[in-house]
Amino acid sequence: MSTRNPESRVELLQGTLDVLILRTLLLGPAHGHAIVKAIERNSEEVLQVEQGSLYPALHRLIKRGWISAEEGNSENNRRAKYYRLTARGRRQLHVETAKWEKLARAIGRILRPGGEEAQP
Amino acid sequence: MRLSRKIGRMLDSLEDDIRDHLERETRDNIARGMPPGEARHAALRKFGNVTRAMEDTREVWSRVWLAQLLQDMRYGLRILFRNPGFAAVAILTLAFGIGMNTAVFSVVHAVLLRPLACPHPERLVWIGDYDPNIKTSAVDGPDFCYWREHAQSYTGMAAYGPQQAAMVTPKDARQVSGVAIAGDFWALTGARPALGRLFGPQERDAVVLAWDLFEQGFAADPLVVGRSVTVDGRSVTIAGVLPKDFRFQFPMWWQSLEPRPVDAYLPLPAKDIAMGRTVNVVASLKPGILAARATAELDVLEKRAQEASPHYRGPATGPRIQPLPDYLTGAARPALFVLLAAGAFVLLIAVLNIASVLLARATVRQREIAIRAAVGAGRARVVRQLLMESIVLAVIGGAAGLALARGALAMLIHLSPNAVPRLWETGINGSVLAFTLAVSIGAGMLFGFVPALALWRTSLSGALKDGARTSPGAAGLRLRGLLVSGELALATVLLIGAGLMLKSFWRMYAHPPGFAPENILTMKIRLTGDRYSEKPAQEAYVRELLRRVASAPGVDAAGVSNWFLWDGVPFPSDTSPNQSHVIRLNAASTGYLQALGIRLLRGRWLGDAESGAVLLNRSMARQAFGAVDPLGRRISTPAPATVVGIVADLKYSHLDADPPAEIYLPYQQAPFFGGASVAVRTSGDAAAMGPAMRKLISGIDPTQPVYNVKTLAQALSDAIAPRRFNLFLLGTFAAVALLLALVGIYGVIAYSVAARTREIGVRMALGAQRRAVVRMVVREGMAMALAGLAAGLAGAWGLTHLIASLLYEVKAGDPPTFAAAAGALVATAMLACWVPARSAARVDPMVALRYE
Repeated sequence: MSTRNPESRVELLQGTLDVLILRTLLLGPAHGHAIVKAIERNSEEVLQVEQGSLYPALHRLIKRGWISAEEGNSENNRRAKYYRLTARGRRQLHVETAKWEKLARAIGRILRPGGEEAQP
Repeated sequence: MRLSRKIGRMLDSLEDDIRDHLERETRDNIARGMPPGEARHAALRKFGNVTRAMEDTREVWSRVWLAQLLQDMRYGLRILFRNPGFAAVAILTLAFGIGMNTAVFSVVHAVLLRPLACPHPERLVWIGDYDPNIKTSAVDGPDFCYWREHAQSYTGMAAYGPQQAAMVTPKDARQVSGVAIAGDFWALTGARPALGRLFGPQERDAVVLAWDLFEQGFAADPLVVGRSVTVDGRSVTIAGVLPKDFRFQFPMWWQSLEPRPVDAYLPLPAKDIAMGRTVNVVASLKPGILAARATAELDVLEKRAQEASPHYRGPATGPRIQPLPDYLTGAARPALFVLLAAGAFVLLIAVLNIASVLLARATVRQREIAIRAAVGAGRARVVRQLLMESIVLAVIGGAAGLALARGALAMLIHLSPNAVPRLWETGINGSVLAFTLAVSIGAGMLFGFVPALALWRTSLSGALKDGARTSPGAAGLRLRGLLVSGELALATVLLIGAGLMLKSFWRMYAHPPGFAPENILTMKIRLTGDRYSEKPAQEAYVRELLRRVASAPGVDAAGVSNWFLWDGVPFPSDTSPNQSHVIRLNAASTGYLQALGIRLLRGRWLGDAESGAVLLNRSMARQAFGAVDPLGRRISTPAPATVVGIVADLKYSHLDADPPAEIYLPYQQAPFFGGASVAVRTSGDAAAMGPAMRKLISGIDPTQPVYNVKTLAQALSDAIAPRRFNLFLLGTFAAVALLLALVGIYGVIAYSVAARTREIGVRMALGAQRRAVVRMVVREGMAMALAGLAAGLAGAWGLTHLIASLLYEVKAGDPPTFAAAAGALVATAMLACWVPARSAARVDPMVALRYE
């Protein structure tokens, strides 16, 4: 596992953590630490999750009914909380993904005006 | 409490979660080759501030909850504005229901819940010595002096009593309604002067003005403090002025005698107390002393006082202690509880009414709600949403009710300030606001609950499949019918309660023919000052007064009277020689009885100059002589006198009590004549004669002003102000209840007719007569009405005995009142059914069938 130079890491944009959590949980239930690790691993260590903001985000999603939490036993038989995507969360992920893609395209158009857009 | 415990549990769980997170990170770091200590530190560093994370999470919990709540509220408001007609009716209904409860609660709060505005109100007690003969609990002056000197249980003790005083102000001479005080009155009431000082216990020639008199009589001139003023012919110093908001609550019986607010405080001379004047006593218990112990101490002191200086105490029962607030407001309590209950009834009717309408709308809204549930709202959320809509509606209604209550209270205080003790303290304050909010939310939850429950039970997917058309479920209509029956039952109870009180009033005002209190002007005089200390001067004044008044234009008859009680009088009908009675001697001029319209039943009238002759009224004749004919017989008054005539009983002072048994003697035979009531029967408008009479009488001697100038009708009505207050409120409640019930029945029947248009069309196409259709609809409505009425009558039968103490000469189960209330309700229900029944009869079968 490589450790990148801190300068090459990117802080998460406000509000994107939620959709990343939803995306991560699409693969299956996970506990908090695993979610952080998954986001960092899947972004090839580019995205840096501020761990302190993970729990408020998780609870926000629970309140909205997009994920649910359940107590379970982890590998070495310790109590751990698992977060699971709900049906509503799954639908929300589609909505958020579409929104995000639209936003990314729009920002891309502004930052790289002209034909380059043709090759994403 | 439960909420905070829940949050505590959530916090614990969150803490576990974060700890687990940190442990995993630490293990990962160790796996990467860090030493354990450093691995832990690195994990913590990476996580950041744990406390902050927990706090942020906690904020999420409440914020999301709040956000959803706001969302629900916004949605509720939108729904309301989509149906402005329904919203207006519902808000108006609730405004009445909640407003009435707010008004009653603010009175209850001021009268029963708020402590008296004095230092340590919880320690204040009333000390009374009840005398069953004259039904008062005043204390003999010498007893008070002895107790105050020797009792150990009190921090202070004060004596006081009402005291009229003639005061010559720079503007005029007027009778002021004063209070004579002694002992620690100022300390107990916590009085502080606004100007000057309060007189001390040894001072005699001083007066403390209430702010109103200072303003009205002395133009609020601060320089009058320290000057002297003439009170009852003596020169006294104005020691100080009390602040505008100083008011000490005096007993209710006092206010019915002297309904005016207190103008001035005068020292009660020690000489008067020692000579045996009766006083009212309040005291402040030392901290930790119980009333029972304080009473026991007084009993001991009382015995010792009797041994030291034996004096006649009559049949008094001995000193008894009562918390002062209980004594002052105890009499008003039953009525206030009845009004609270009545207010709750009205609100319940309003709630049932709205629940019934919401239930009807819920049927229509099933589809909307099914869709919301289908896109993932969740049943709990939908129900919460519905409840929230109702609460929004109720809170708006409550706000309108608050405005209504404010107006109603202002009107009540204006109309009858003395109907309830401490009524002037009533207002919309924090407690009242909290009450209104709680009642509004409670009401909203109650009427939101019914449709929410109905929706909870219906199959939502069924509603979707059903398509656009919604049928009024038979179950829904039955439930609505049940709600409306409940409304009617409640309205019946209220109507019967109000009816019983109305009948009491009718009985109170049942005057004998010829008695016209609105044509009788009454007023009072008091002869004060050195000039009138002797009886000849008093008699000369009264003679001159009678001469002038009787010869004034528009006066048919005029007279004076002065009554007093005499104890220890034997009656001719007594069987044992030791019996004695308290008699009421009324020293009245012939004109007085004629002015009041008291009828002579037998014998003859008295001459004003006669002596040794008396008249009895019928009650007195019966009490004193039993079955024996009293005419020509002797009675002790206590001087022996011959009965020359019998007059009819007349309730000329208290409408809500039996007429007093009285012995009338010529006014010149009165042992003293310090003051008198004047009665003037006029041929025209008696009230309009007031100013002229005032002027006429002050022409005899301007230093002896008349006071309490009002028509007898007004005086009688003032004396039953508390009853009028109760009747007015209960009557209003009943009227609103009836109106709401009318709307309720109408709503359900109209809805049922509209929903059954097709069925009615089919019936008519098959040959049903219009009359049969009307009958069908009316029968449906009356079935609901009669079920409610039956339940209401049964409820009233069980409940009305609770208001028995508020009734006069009417039994709680008075059949005519029950019948009248039932009749009124049936008529109302008929009216409510009639309109929809007629529209049902106008259904055109062709149109109704094509409509489908």
